[in-house]
Parts: sequence; C-alpha cells; structure tokens
Amino acid sequence: MMKKLNFVVNNRKYSIEVDPRKTLLDVLREDLKLTGTKKGCGSGECGACTVVIDGQNVNSCMVFALDMEGKEVITIEGLAPKSGEIHPIQQAFVDHGAIQCGFCSPGMIMSTSAILEKHEKPTEEQIREGISGNLCRCTGYVKIVDAIQSLAENK
Amino acid sequence: MDKLNIVGKSSFRVDGIDKISGRSIYPQDIKLKEMFHAVTLRSTVPHATFTLNTEKASKMSGVVKIFTAHDVTGKNEHGVLFKDHQVFMDRKINRIGDPLALVVAETLKEAKVAMKEIEVLYNELPGVFCPLEAMNEDAPKIHGDSNIIANMKLEKGTVDFSKCDVVVENTFKVPMVEHAFLQPESAVSYIEDDKLVVISSTQYPHWDRFELSLALGLKEENIKVLNAAVGGAFGGREDITSQIHVALATKTLKKPVKITYGREESFLAHSKRHPMTIRMKIGALKDGKITAMKNEILADSGAYASWAPSVLRKAMTHSTGPYEIENVKVNAKSVYTNNPFTGAMRGFGATQVAVGYEQIIDQLAEELGISTYEIREKNILRIGSKTGTSQTMYNSVPVDRCLEAVKKEMEIIKKKPVNKDMLTGYGIALSIYGTGYGNGFPDVSSNIAKINSDGKIEIFSGFTEVGQGAKTVMAQIASEVFNTSSSNIIINCEDTDKVPDSGTAAASRQTYNTGNAVKKSCEKLKDIILNLAQKELGLNNNIGLEVKDELVYLRTLPSMEITFKDLFSKYKDELSSKGKFVAQTTQMDDLSQGAPYWPYGFNALGVKVEIDPATGRINVVDGVFAQDVGRAINPRLVEGQMDGGFVMGLGYALYEDINLVDGEIKNRKFSSYIIPTAKDMPTLKKIIIEDPEETGPFGAKGIGESVTIPAAPAILNAIYDASKVRFTKLPVTPIEFMKKFGNKYD
Repeated sequence: MMKKLNFVVNNRKYSIEVDPRKTLLDVLREDLKLTGTKKGCGSGECGACTVVIDGQNVNSCMVFALDMEGKEVITIEGLAPKSGEIHPIQQAFVDHGAIQCGFCSPGMIMSTSAILEKHEKPTEEQIREGISGNLCRCTGYVKIVDAIQSLAENK
Repeated sequence: MDKLNIVGKSSFRVDGIDKISGRSIYPQDIKLKEMFHAVTLRSTVPHATFTLNTEKASKMSGVVKIFTAHDVTGKNEHGVLFKDHQVFMDRKINRIGDPLALVVAETLKEAKVAMKEIEVLYNELPGVFCPLEAMNEDAPKIHGDSNIIANMKLEKGTVDFSKCDVVVENTFKVPMVEHAFLQPESAVSYIEDDKLVVISSTQYPHWDRFELSLALGLKEENIKVLNAAVGGAFGGREDITSQIHVALATKTLKKPVKITYGREESFLAHSKRHPMTIRMKIGALKDGKITAMKNEILADSGAYASWAPSVLRKAMTHSTGPYEIENVKVNAKSVYTNNPFTGAMRGFGATQVAVGYEQIIDQLAEELGISTYEIREKNILRIGSKTGTSQTMYNSVPVDRCLEAVKKEMEIIKKKPVNKDMLTGYGIALSIYGTGYGNGFPDVSSNIAKINSDGKIEIFSGFTEVGQGAKTVMAQIASEVFNTSSSNIIINCEDTDKVPDSGTAAASRQTYNTGNAVKKSCEKLKDIILNLAQKELGLNNNIGLEVKDELVYLRTLPSMEITFKDLFSKYKDELSSKGKFVAQTTQMDDLSQGAPYWPYGFNALGVKVEIDPATGRINVVDGVFAQDVGRAINPRLVEGQMDGGFVMGLGYALYEDINLVDGEIKNRKFSSYIIPTAKDMPTLKKIIIEDPEETGPFGAKGIGESVTIPAAPAILNAIYDASKVRFTKLPVTPIEFMKKFGNKYD
C-alpha cells in the first residue's frame, strides 16, 4: 500500500505517494528521476549513494524514504546554488583531478559537503575519516583529499 | 621535437563537469518507456548437469517471458579467445554463477519474485578446485578431455645453476582478486529503425557488437552498441556479462529491456585476477651479475579460459622482470577448474610475477651481501639490453632513472622520525610492462578526424573512456596538432555506428595505439587544410601557412587568413582524414623468443611500512613512486593513474582475497571483501620520468597497467625489512602476519 511522504529535496517541496518498503535511494532515482545519486552496493558499504540529510551525510540506501517525512535532503543535483552552476566543492574536484570513472564522485562530493559543514577547517585526518565510508577504486583518494584540503584552506 | 603547447599540460578532463554534477549517464540511470526488467538465474552449485522447470514461474504476475538456452537465436556461446562460455547453460554447469535463465517481467520486483519459483534440479558432478589436481588424468574435466588450457615454455641460453656462485629459490602464491569497480554491470537495449541497440558499460564496444552478432544470429550492421559512462573497468568489463541477455530479450520481445546487477551478482558475473603459484630460482655470480633464472608458473583460469593464454604469455615473458639475464627457462601452465573464471585485470599476468621476481632479487642481494639497490643497478635493462625473449631495448629504457629517483627520495624518507612502538621497514620494487595484445597479433587502432560545419575538429574513434582519461588525452593530442585548446575538440567514441574500431581499452594500449592513430589522422587533415587554404588564398605554395584556433593564416602576413568554417562551406567532403596505427610486435617462436610487445614501460617504487607487533596490523605510511611515461600527455592524469594503481596494489598486498569454498565466493560484499579506503593511502611522492618513446604519440607510452605492479612487492620487501619474515603468500593480513611473526613477538 502506498503512503504519503512530504519532504524537501534540493530546496523543492515534494508531496508524493511512495511504497513504504522503498529506500530513499530508490525513491530519488526512480520516483524523482534524480539519478546523480549512485547505487554501488545497496547495503551501506560503498558510499556511492551518499546524500546530505539535515546537514549529515547519509547512505541513502540505508534509510526508508518514509523516514524522510518533514526532512530536507540535498543530492548532487541540488548542491550548486543555482541550476547549471557549479558548487565550489565540485569545482575543486575538477581543478584537482579528483575524478576518474565518476561513479563515486557524487557521493564523495556530498560527504565533502558534510565534512565542511561539520568542521570549520578540517585537518587531513578529519578529511580522510570523513570520506572513509566512500569507496573509490580509481584515484587512490589522493587528489580527492587534495581537493578537500584546498577548500579547507580557502575557508 | 618542436615546442609543445598542449601536450604536457594538465588540461581539465573533458568529462569532468558531467561527472561532478551527476549528469554522466551510466546504463543503470536510463529509463525508457514501456521498458521491461530482467533478472538472471544463476547456478548455485559448481559442477552439475541440471533440468529447469519454468512453468510455475512463467505464469507469475507480470512475467513476460523466461529465456533459457532453447531461446538463443544464434550460437549459444561467447568468449574472448575461445567460445567456451554459454549465453545460457544447456547441459552442464561449470561454476557457481553460470547463467541458467533470464526472467523478463514488467517490473523488477515481479521478475525477482518469479525467479524464485523456477525449479532447478541439479545432478551434481564431482568438482575440481585446485589447479594442481585439475591436471591429474583422473580429475573431473570441465571442457573437453583435458583441463590444461595453455602450456607454454620460454628458453634463452642454457640454465646451469652450478655455474652460479649464489642461488636462491622460493615459491610465491598470489590470490584470486576482484576488480571491484564501483559501478555494477548494467545494460539497456531497444529497437531503433530496425536496428538492435545495446547500451552498456564496456571496455570494447566493437567486440561486444561482434559477440552479440554471433549469439543473436544478426549481422553486425544490424546492431549498434552505445557505450555509456563506464564506472571503472580494470579488465573486468572485457568479457560479456549482461549484454547478450538484454539484447536477446529485446530482439525477441521487441521492447526495451534493462538488466542491472547488484554488488553480489557483480562479484559472480565477471572475471577475476588469476591466482598463481610461481616457483622461482635465480643464480648470480659473486659480483652480483644475475646469470640464470628458472621459473614455473601455474595459473587457475577457473571455469572459462577468458584471456588465459594471453595472461599466461605476459606472466611468462615478464617473469624475468626489468633485468637482463643471459640464461632463462620458464614453464607456464593455465588450467580449468570449477572456480570462478579469471581473466584480464590490471597488469594482466605481469602483476602476479612481480610479487616473485622483486622479492627473490632482494633475497639474492642479501645472500650476496650487497644492497637492494646495487643488485638492481647491476642487472637492469638499459639501451641495447635484451629481455628474456631476446628482444632488444633500443630506446626509452629509463629503468636506471626510475631507480635513481627512488633511491634519492628513500634516503630522505629514511631520515624521518620513526614510531618506536612499531616495527619499521623500507622496501623497493621495480617493474616492467609490455604494451598491447602482443605476440604479432594485429593490434589496430583507427581514427577519423573531420572538420564540422562550425569549423570545429571532431575525432571519431572507438576507444573507451573507463575513467583513465582517454577522452582528454585524445583531445590533447588532436589539439596539439591543430594548435588549439583541447576544449575545442569534439570527441566521438561511444557509438559503433559512428566510429571505427580502436581495439579494447586494455593493455595500456589506448594512449599509445589510439593516440598514434589520432595524431596521424589529425596531421593528414592538417595537410589537407593547408593545401585547401593555399588554393583559397591564392598562394604559390603552402609554405609558412599555420593553423591556430580553427583558422589558417600566413605567418609572414597574418591578415591573410581563412577559417576552418569557411573552408568547410566550400570543401565539406574533403575535410576528413583516416588514421590507422598497428603496433609492431612479432609472434614468438617455440621457445618464446621474439619481440612480443612494444613499447615497454618501467617504474620504481619505494615504501615505508609500520607494523604493530602486537596485532600484526600493517600500515604503509610513506612512499615514492617514479614512473616512466615516455612523455606525459597530461601530468595530472598520469599522477591519478599512479595513485590509483598504487592503492590497488596495496589492496593486493595487504587485504584482498576472494575467499573460495568449493568454488563459491564467500565474500561477495564490500564488508567482507576489503578494498583500501582513504585512511589506508599513505603520502605518496610521485615522480614522472620522461624519456620519449620514438614510436609513441609525442613520445608517450601507456601506463594504466604498469602503475599497479610494483606496489605489492615493494610492500612485501618492506615487511621483510621490518620483521625479517619473508611473506610469499598474499595478502599479508594481520592474522597471516602474526602466524609467522607471533612467536618472535612472544
């Protein structure tokens, strides 16, 4: 039986009917067509589906969509201040070559957003800890850490 | 060489903005109207005959059709070297995970529910899971009457260890490991204008089209493969997985169909890295000169051959490392078992053998009483040296420069403070990697360069962007020729209808092979443009004409100019040029002598490890990596490969191991199959060594495979330095470490 869900995604209010067994990830990808959030494992182990919920980075595959009632979710599509623009985190990832295959990038960028919200000037250790739930098989994390450090320095 | 303007600069990735904004489309992101969803029923036993009953399942709600072997419209087979895979098994199951049926339904949930209702009756057969046992005459046979897929030998000179002053031997065991690309396999197919279209993430769209045509019984021109964004590959997307299944369903049902694997199915579906047992014996004279080496390699190919003979050939020819050794004997075998099948993975056989040769050379140095640097300096390949296959290294052999750079930097690392609670050790390793399919196989890349109606340069070539940065590299090569920004180059590589075959994105061959084809076609197109401009400008000849930012001008009178756009309006059909490049390799003789690969890339790596003596936890805390690139087209992309290759090798050394019990992968999740996280990656100083390769595009070589090879042996040598325990079996987990070291600690 479908249930009503009221929540905010990327500053837009949604009032939709959802299958109560669906995860936030599946609702984002299938119902809202926000496919920028990726599914790498579906069991909270890879971080590709990371979104920011009320300032916290969360694996969207590990929460039911219905639990989002009244909450505010930011996905990769809503990170930039305006549609078509690039957020400074995204720009830093481009500038530092922190992208390869790109599949972990949206989740990695959303975790970065949460790190920078939590810490005024995160240390390298805090950065590594903050993205340790986001697996990347391509970059060795080095240029990702570089990109985040550049943001911390410019804060 | 003329001054370079674009090559050598760290241009931004051409696919960067799409990837950081979530706009890059992977197949799982695609949703078409009236699209069916399909799930694959896979065998749960490793060796059996079987019968299927799909009657109940096919009547379930939403089920459209259940496909089995009977429904395959072409030949029920596929495979990169031998057609030993089946689209759906028809008689005998050879491994856990073999595809038995495909359930197509209106929704994914309905497909999954129905799949559970298919009855499979197995008649289990005895299985064989040990490659040594698989060679026994009475072992269960997987395909045909022998399990031996390849049995190769290499002989150079005469190996006689009695003539050596010091001889060392050891046996190394390297595990089966997983590519663990972050994007699980997915494919979507549909029909468009009587053409079957398959969207997937693959390393080689033209090969997929060929395999699809055989299995579906369609002509290749009736199939179009579109390569979507590829979320990592590392060799794991070379063999067909879901592509034929999804296409067969669309061909039969005339509707769009989608398949997306979950993580556990991804572990089951694609190949793995060959586990190998490598026995090595090496002998040297008192002065440290290595004179003889004898190696035996046994590789487990699992249930299917995939690339087994090619991987084995690379392992065999690379087992002498980047060293000149006068007398060499190698035997290499690859066998079928009922384990998961193994195939291509970063380094392609060259990664496995380096775990052996780079450790045994350290052992040899210790026996001789010389340093690990000195033994290498005395034996490395240099200009004029001959490899184990007697191939002459005639240019770009900067092994010495790689080693020197690491030696210098390791002296600095060694002076840094050490943590007294930890065992600290330092280790180095070198490696060699020969580019391409090799062994005389016609390794072709093609490109078409065109000017479009906007006066922009367009590149058409079937290479694959798997994350390594191939699109950016090709754009930089083209922009260098045309003296324009790489952002002005339009890259077309995804659509088999529009682009010529450029071979697989593997064997570090795209930068070298396709880069050469792109450069050639662009240079030809530039000549065409200059000649047409001469005609239009009414000049006597084309001397002094130059191109810049999509226009041609006369250098002595720059106001004489014409844009590419204006040329296009008049000479549309002439503004196109083809470029083709075939790598120069030869087929080796019966004793594996010849010139099997070209060019060769080299590197050196030094690491510092800290080991907690109480728990056995090993951390790599510092490192220096010197990589021969010929010439760096894009230094930032080169560094990205070095970081990523290193950390994959780190996982190989310390964490990763497919845990098999009677052919079943027990660790099919990232919580049980551990890959390195951001907390495991040390500080890594990267040094790019440039020594232009004469035959490379602007001197470049590919490095994608090479970069992963030295990590594991360097770490193992550092572990030895710290603990005086030589680990010959990977991975060195804390438990494995304490098993051998525990007594010393107590």
